[in-house]
Amino acid sequence: MPNKEVVATDAPAKASSGLPLLASELSVLFRRRRTWAMLLALAAVPVLMAIAVRVSSAVPPGRGPAFLDRITQNGLFVGVTALLVCVPLFLPLTVGVVAGDTIAGEAGLGTLRYLLVAPAGRVRLLLVKYAGAAAFCIVAPLVVALAGAGIGTALFPVGPVTLLSGDVITPGEAVVRLLLVAAYLTVSLLGLSAVGLFLSTLTDVPVGAMAATIVASVVSQVVGELPQLEWLHPWLFSHYWFGFADLLRQPIAWDSFGSNALLQAGYIAVFGALAYGRFVTKDVLS
Amino acid sequence: MTRKWLRWMPAAAVPAVIAAAALAGSLPASAGDPLPAKTPQEVLALVAHHSAPSLSGTLEQTSRIGLPELPKTGPSAGGAASVLELLSGPHTARVFLDGPRNVRVQVLDRLAERNAVRSGDEVWLYSSRDNTATHLTLPADAGRHHDVGQYKHPGAGTDGVMPTPEDLAARFLAAADPTTEISVLPEVNVAGRAAYNLVVTPRTEGTLIASVAIAVDGQSGLPLSVELKARGQSEPAFKLAFTSLSLEAPDASLFAFSPPPGATVKEVEVPAHGTGSLPGHRWPGHRTEEGVVPDAAVPDAVTPDAAVPEAVAPDAAAARPTVTGTGWESVVEFPASAASAEAGAMMSSDPLLQQAAVAVPGGRLFSTAVVNVLFTDDGRVFAGSVPADRLLTAAAAR
Repeated sequence: MPNKEVVATDAPAKASSGLPLLASELSVLFRRRRTWAMLLALAAVPVLMAIAVRVSSAVPPGRGPAFLDRITQNGLFVGVTALLVCVPLFLPLTVGVVAGDTIAGEAGLGTLRYLLVAPAGRVRLLLVKYAGAAAFCIVAPLVVALAGAGIGTALFPVGPVTLLSGDVITPGEAVVRLLLVAAYLTVSLLGLSAVGLFLSTLTDVPVGAMAATIVASVVSQVVGELPQLEWLHPWLFSHYWFGFADLLRQPIAWDSFGSNALLQAGYIAVFGALAYGRFVTKDVLS
Repeated sequence: MTRKWLRWMPAAAVPAVIAAAALAGSLPASAGDPLPAKTPQEVLALVAHHSAPSLSGTLEQTSRIGLPELPKTGPSAGGAASVLELLSGPHTARVFLDGPRNVRVQVLDRLAERNAVRSGDEVWLYSSRDNTATHLTLPADAGRHHDVGQYKHPGAGTDGVMPTPEDLAARFLAAADPTTEISVLPEVNVAGRAAYNLVVTPRTEGTLIASVAIAVDGQSGLPLSVELKARGQSEPAFKLAFTSLSLEAPDASLFAFSPPPGATVKEVEVPAHGTGSLPGHRWPGHRTEEGVVPDAAVPDAVTPDAAVPEAVAPDAAAARPTVTGTGWESVVEFPASAASAEAGAMMSSDPLLQQAAVAVPGGRLFSTAVVNVLFTDDGRVFAGSVPADRLLTAAAAR
């Protein structure tokens, strides 16, 4: 029975393009109330932060997250500071929910087998699901950055921006840097999405896959803080998460961007292959 | 069943490919044309004759000298703690050099950066963590003070952020004397460039240092890496190496620094002679602190005669250090003075330093893999790259 199932559903998909499937996946993802709630929660981080700084007295340097003391001088720093605050928990949390839901969510709703009945191969379904999660990885940091820049512009003066190196750039260049930081975080989250996709193929309970993905991101960060496991650190998907600061130096240090992209590509390859192995051999009963 | 296993093949193959790639990447890349063979003297001359070039490169430092790891985040710790912070653990820095008078060194910290910029006689130090800038103007003859032999490194001793391989190599080579064996081992590859591997080995057993290896660029004579090995440690105790290097002139705008708006700016007066004393300024290279905590630990240990009198120049009139022993076994004694008393107080008050120093009969011993420093209860300080019991003997002898 299992073999039969595999053969039946995994026959190479007909040559029709996967674009309609991707379009429907994206529209389902971004029409969900849950997705909107998560994006609004992410956007609330810079807003709350900016309002708190605005109504309170000046923040002394060296207290709170890095760059917090710069906000009053320049509103554009709200975006960077909010991204910094979101990196360890909020972004992995939301990405974990989306990535963990990919396959397990359909299985949990009982719609997976209908998706597979349609002439869409399992591989293509997997790719489309991952593309949906990747799209969320693009949107989530962008929402934080733009909401931060917006509320910062509204509440604080905007002027030339001081980089970590002490050099000053124009607000226009600063917005480009902010978008680069968001792109860096998008790349950073792709590895976690691949982990989430694999975990999602393991279970029919979406909450389990979501929780496991979020736990994976927390474990990776905790291990990254232990000096005893230093040999392991360059292999953790969270290793370069804070490396986006290298984009705020003058000249930009691209090394960490490259290393990060390579590392995330490795995670995508490994967990993509695992997800493939699991999903195409899986008995889809629901 | 076999079909099912075929589906899992990619999951097995991908990690195997990654592991193979990682292994291949860790193997030393084979250099193209081998360098012409050179004797140690010729390599030394190559180093001595190289002129201050234009370069931009990335330096990486690792050290396992037995200091406790200090937290890298949070507000910057001032004084001795920041010197220790630079010496312990890994650091990455970018160096930009354009001729002898334009220098920029950036220590890349996590979410922060420390900068030292020299443009002509103007020197700016900037720390992004507390947004402070320090400005000083060098006396017109600065730079000549810090020549070591023929070798000239711009800003050596003034930038003080993180010594370049040039700095360290020059000091090590200055210490080459009959107590030391110098040889050239098979060439190595540093930052993608073929380099001579100059190895300095002490002829005595009475020192903590096992060997010092300096990679000298085969074309330009620029020292590309310095590696210090301690006795009984297989991993280098201290390593400073270029990971990338370009010998083209960097963008001139890098050297034009003006303090960013909103930064706290400190003006520091430099005395006409010696760029040594920068009172009240917390930059890691702070000279008066270096006299207290081992002058960058490494050079002090190796060239006591050359480095120490200069480092403690401000205090020299009050208490001049004395050196016992010769060569690698030298022990430097700093007599009791205000500075050493201050150091002792700091040793006992700073919790981080307290952890690092252990109580021994008659004082506290600050011990690392390559240098030992003994703070006696009566205020004297003994330092040397020798086993701890030799310091205790030296302290008891007085």
